Amino acid sequence: MIVCVGVVGQANNPLFIQSYTEGDDALKFHHVVHCALDVIEEKATPKKGGTGYNETYLGLLYPTEDYKVYGYVSNTRVKFIMVSDDLDAKEADVRGFFKRFHAAYVDAALNPFHVPGKRLASPTFAARVNGIVNGFGKSTA
Amino acid sequence: MKAALRPGDAAFANVEKVNAELFTLTYGAVVRQLLTDHEDVDDVNKQLDSMGYNIGIRLIDEFLAKSNSAKCADFRETADVIAKVGFKMFLGVSPTVANWSPDGKECSLLMDDNPLVDFVELPDTCQGLSYCSILCGVLRGALEMISMRTEVRIVKDMLKGDDVYEIRMRLIETVPEELPYKDDE
Repeated sequence: MIVCVGVVGQANNPLFIQSYTEGDDALKFHHVVHCALDVIEEKATPKKGGTGYNETYLGLLYPTEDYKVYGYVSNTRVKFIMVSDDLDAKEADVRGFFKRFHAAYVDAALNPFHVPGKRLASPTFAARVNGIVNGFGKSTA
Repeated sequence: MKAALRPGDAAFANVEKVNAELFTLTYGAVVRQLLTDHEDVDDVNKQLDSMGYNIGIRLIDEFLAKSNSAKCADFRETADVIAKVGFKMFLGVSPTVANWSPDGKECSLLMDDNPLVDFVELPDTCQGLSYCSILCGVLRGALEMISMRTEVRIVKDMLKGDDVYEIRMRLIETVPEELPYKDDE
């Protein structure tokens, strides 16, 4: 199950963070997402002399005791982070999830009333992400 | 019904098309700019309407030239042509005409799908904004050029939680065509 998703902007400013657990652990997930940014930074920066590494899906960023943190970075350097408590999620599912998540973000960003770089306050976006999160892992099960 | 749809499809096939997202985003940018310039939402509604009017009085000639539609006998027929040919030609959708008043002077255009509002969500600060009031202006302007004075307003708006777009058109009067000069002058 996915416990938290986040969208982080170009300047590492949080645009959207939503946790899906019962308890009041929003702060904990903020911390997890924050830590993930460092790993993303490291993974997404092209290495000197290396070939241009242009994959948007970054895979598993780091495991914690209870969770696994996955990342995805768009070509505009908007980062998508997902925290899952399912320790053996299928990679194809995770990729599919990020693809849908990214598409939802793109549609929300096309709203003329959304200011790029500001928080995503749209309830439609939140509802759509909710739907994607609930559908996670069910297509192949 | 099918025969009535055909002229719209033919006209739609004949006009040049533009990418839907470009169109939606351009309109969105226009509305946003108006909001920054005017601040007051009612002013923006009026401005959109008058922009629409200016589009309408020009667009009607394009419409008449390309749609090959015959002269309409009454307002009912006009509304039908607007819905089936006009909207199809310029927006790619065909609203349904419904809710006629008994005297045949007032009707509604119902649209489930509106390309202007893809992606759009009204923020809480502009709930009074009538995002599509440009359409009202276009209709009013176009009809005025063919000697029909109308009043057009939006009564239902999907952006405000209604299930459909409803544009109400009321025919105020038919202005008799005036020739600008007499034959013997």
